[in-house]
Amino acid sequence: MKDVLSLALVHLATAVRERITLFWFLIFPVFMLVILSLIFGQIGQEGEISFDITLINRDETGGFSDMIVTLFEKLAEPQANGQEPLFSLYVPNAGEDTDTFLIQEKAALRRGKRAAVVVVPSGFGETLAGGMATGRQDTASATITIYMSHTSVASEMATEIIEQMLAEVDRELLIEAGAFDPADEIAAQTIWLGKQGEETRYVDFLLPGIILMGFFTNGLFGVPGAILFNRDQRILRRYWVTPLSVPRFLAGFALGHLALCAVQFAILFSLGRYGFGATVSFLRPAAWLTLILSAVTFMAFGFLIASLARTANAGMAVANILNMPMMFLSGLFFPIAGLPPFLMAIVYANPVSYLANGLRVSLGVESSTMRPVLAIAVPLAWIAVSVLVAARRLRWDVER
Amino acid sequence: MGCGTMSAFRSLLVAEARILSRDRMALFFTLAFPLIFILIFGFLVGDFGAVSQSRIGLHVASGVDRSVLDASIASAGSIVVESFESLDAMENAVTDRQVDFALGWNGSTLSFHYDANRVQENYAFQQLAAGIASDFNLRRQQATPAMSVEPIDIGDVAPTGWFNIVLPGILAFSVLSSGLFAVSGHLTAMKARKVLDRMVVTPMPPVALLAAIVVVRLALGYVSTLVTLLVGVWAFGLQYNVSWLRFTVFIGCSTVGTMGIGTIIALVVRQPSSASSIANALAMVMLFLAGIYFPIEFMPGFLRAIGNALPLTHMAKAMRYATGVIDMAETEFWAITLAFLAIAVVLFPVLARYVVRPLRR
Repeated sequence: MKDVLSLALVHLATAVRERITLFWFLIFPVFMLVILSLIFGQIGQEGEISFDITLINRDETGGFSDMIVTLFEKLAEPQANGQEPLFSLYVPNAGEDTDTFLIQEKAALRRGKRAAVVVVPSGFGETLAGGMATGRQDTASATITIYMSHTSVASEMATEIIEQMLAEVDRELLIEAGAFDPADEIAAQTIWLGKQGEETRYVDFLLPGIILMGFFTNGLFGVPGAILFNRDQRILRRYWVTPLSVPRFLAGFALGHLALCAVQFAILFSLGRYGFGATVSFLRPAAWLTLILSAVTFMAFGFLIASLARTANAGMAVANILNMPMMFLSGLFFPIAGLPPFLMAIVYANPVSYLANGLRVSLGVESSTMRPVLAIAVPLAWIAVSVLVAARRLRWDVER
Repeated sequence: MGCGTMSAFRSLLVAEARILSRDRMALFFTLAFPLIFILIFGFLVGDFGAVSQSRIGLHVASGVDRSVLDASIASAGSIVVESFESLDAMENAVTDRQVDFALGWNGSTLSFHYDANRVQENYAFQQLAAGIASDFNLRRQQATPAMSVEPIDIGDVAPTGWFNIVLPGILAFSVLSSGLFAVSGHLTAMKARKVLDRMVVTPMPPVALLAAIVVVRLALGYVSTLVTLLVGVWAFGLQYNVSWLRFTVFIGCSTVGTMGIGTIIALVVRQPSSASSIANALAMVMLFLAGIYFPIEFMPGFLRAIGNALPLTHMAKAMRYATGVIDMAETEFWAITLAFLAIAVVLFPVLARYVVRPLRR
């Protein structure tokens, strides 16, 4: 038993000492967790997104146009909590020709330096006031123009936000004019369908995916890397001149690999929980079983690659080729519902798909999209195939 | 270039081409990697942020007038509406993902039903729902908006989907990988295997070796970007208005420029064998921070600042401009292109010294 534990410790220590190994096993998953949480976890939330907006007020009558300018200025004020304001506002200087300024700003918009250019037309306030007084709105004259660019997602998003903002202003104006009765307004009710009755937070959805990604890269790169490089550099040969048998070596290696997965899990879980406020609880037997099944499946898959590659470099090449398709065609990070049949075939053959869905279902952050029996059967089938192929083909020493 | 140098160059060119044709990793990352990426991401994020094709479920209680609601839904864009007899059937359709989200109207309550676990899509669905609810309330009270908002697209290029913009970014990444690995993968491997040590004792000038590597990598990079572009057009119906002069010059300058950046990695990393791993790691980090897959504007301020400092961000912008999917000042494009050329001009003498210098131990 002592030799098995020593081997496990050696495997763990070697992985931790290798800086590039550390990058792929720990730093890259952490990086992905941070990046995806920051981008998708807070999408559309004020304080987390900022747009460069130009505002040109050509209306000199004041009143309503001033109200709109004030609204924009308020959204461009620095936030008390240190967060970025929604808008960085660009306005013409006092006395500056607005036509020339508009041309400059439209050019800036075309070049991606602005997300939108908003123009309040001359006579806007007067037309609006007249319409509200008579109850006949001349919306053609009271039209705010938003110059935007369809080639920029940021511009489209900024335009949507400005449209919603102005729709709210419009609603207030209609209430003021007595054209809209807020008491008769139908408030839209939001119903979240799911176990918790509320929207799943992005970080709760992402965290299990990142943990599985860590396990996956650990198995895909770590196992063939450790076996093949040690074999090619004749390090394994030294083991075989000792009384150590291959099964005991494998037991130590597997124990070390699982320990590495446990370290990965602890770090990623702690970061998710304490860094990003993840609330998903892993204290569920089904989740633990799925995590163990995942670690074993990916380790077996690593042995399969090691047995198919002649050299360590070839093994790394195979791992690199399989990495992206298997990771992205599994639903780990992006929804896979609308994929065409030839890609869905990969999804259904991919053990990561079943494990990712199985883990998320067990944690209550995703509906089941695979049959429960397949969630266990497919990974087990991969383990069986991998072990069989590795038992027949894997060479434990360099060819003489 | 003297006659001897030319002769050495020709021999090295043939040798480099052969080496590259046998280097499965380099071929994979230059030729197959961009293709795999666009095939996967084309289908996964082809309509990033778009909800125009949403399928929504609708249940209206019996006896309740639905004409106003139908008009509001119709005004929200081209949405496929599926009607359900019961609220339960509609909610099941949402959780089974037969529809994206659903709407219930019983004459007094307007309810929107979402699958709580569609975390990446619900934001867009909620935006759409808010527009429908707002329009519905105005129509119910026969209120006309006091003012209107007119969005005008001012782009010189035709409206494009997000994936149309992603693909040139992937091309830029492919060029970056090709340039980085030419030095930090290929040259450092030659150095580690002492191939360069043997070469420097021949009359071969280092410039001939570097020129051969540049020509072979450039040719492969150019073919790779063309194939990827064609697959994008053929498989996804993407449209590009390529300026071939800008495209060609940019690929040339950015390939040599990124080889220059690869030189820095090769010099900084003491172990040549680690250089390719470091280059791979850096390329991956840049891929996610340079606005290739996610618009840079969606990132928090500090990440935007990092993103804007990365060479890949500017390469992607220039490639998008050269393929006609974004507007850019002509001077900015040439500034980026020439900046990469300048990096190469400054760092290639350093690279030549690296080639002839014995391996550090």
